[in-house]
Amino acid sequence: MSENLESKLQDALRPVAPSDEFSRALLKRVTATRHSPAHLERAGRPWPRAAAWWVAAPFAASVLIAFGVQHHLQAERERALGMQARHQVIEALHVTSQKLDLAYQAVRTQSSAFVEADTGV
Amino acid sequence: MRSTAALNEPGPVGIDEQLAAARAGESSAIGALVVAYQRTVYSLALRMLGARDLAEDLTQDVFMLLSENLHRIESKEHLALWLRKVTAHRAIDRLRRRSRFAMTPLDEEAQMFSTVDDGDPLFQRQLQLVLSELTPPARAVLLLRYQEDLDPAQIAQTLDMPVNTVKSHLKRSLEYMRRAFVGAAENRPQGNSS
Repeated sequence: MSENLESKLQDALRPVAPSDEFSRALLKRVTATRHSPAHLERAGRPWPRAAAWWVAAPFAASVLIAFGVQHHLQAERERALGMQARHQVIEALHVTSQKLDLAYQAVRTQSSAFVEADTGV
Repeated sequence: MRSTAALNEPGPVGIDEQLAAARAGESSAIGALVVAYQRTVYSLALRMLGARDLAEDLTQDVFMLLSENLHRIESKEHLALWLRKVTAHRAIDRLRRRSRFAMTPLDEEAQMFSTVDDGDPLFQRQLQLVLSELTPPARAVLLLRYQEDLDPAQIAQTLDMPVNTVKSHLKRSLEYMRRAFVGAAENRPQGNSS
């Protein structure tokens, strides 16, 4: 039964031909499309997507690198400005400290002179 | 076993050359490829979709797609695999889309089966009914096995499914057919039984 069924299936399922009218129309359509300007343009560029990829990838990489370098330089500039500001603040504190010392010494000298005058020494 | 694939396609001499010429843009070569493979593609489309107009539409789509993708085809074997794969997958997609809206009965007028050797008309009618009841992937498996004479590994490669799934589809479809054909034989009028 099994072999019989399989053999009957093979016989019944032999390929059938499409109508002649359809065959002619199909041939005409396929060969005409093959010569259409759009098709020839595509055929001239067989790997448009791959080519686009090879152009786009280096471009994207160079944009990324440029962005990274610019970001790095900007960070360096900001760090240098920060260091400069820090030095200026330290310098200002140093000057202020010196001025305060001078003022303190002047006040101390004056107050010693007053004490000596009061005691009659 | 009869090799339908061999019957279906021209001999090994010629197709590779036609393929190379078609890739170079020779329209007569692509015409020769269409002539060589239209029976395979059309029969698969017709038995998958069950209607002549749908089969013609799919056959045309497949060959138009082939003419755009000739540069990807490497050999005669690759061409046969590519055509069967694209036809089967597109037919399955169309059947799935169609089943979302309405079931279309198989075309009674379509010449779906071979009339060579004066085939059994009752068997053919029953086969047409059974084919319409199989799921699209099971139908594709059955057609690739018995129309295209592919083995389960080749069917698996064509339909992108595991070999065990192919074997399981084949086993279930044959069992279903046996039950259907036994039922039909029992219901056959006595005068017609042989």
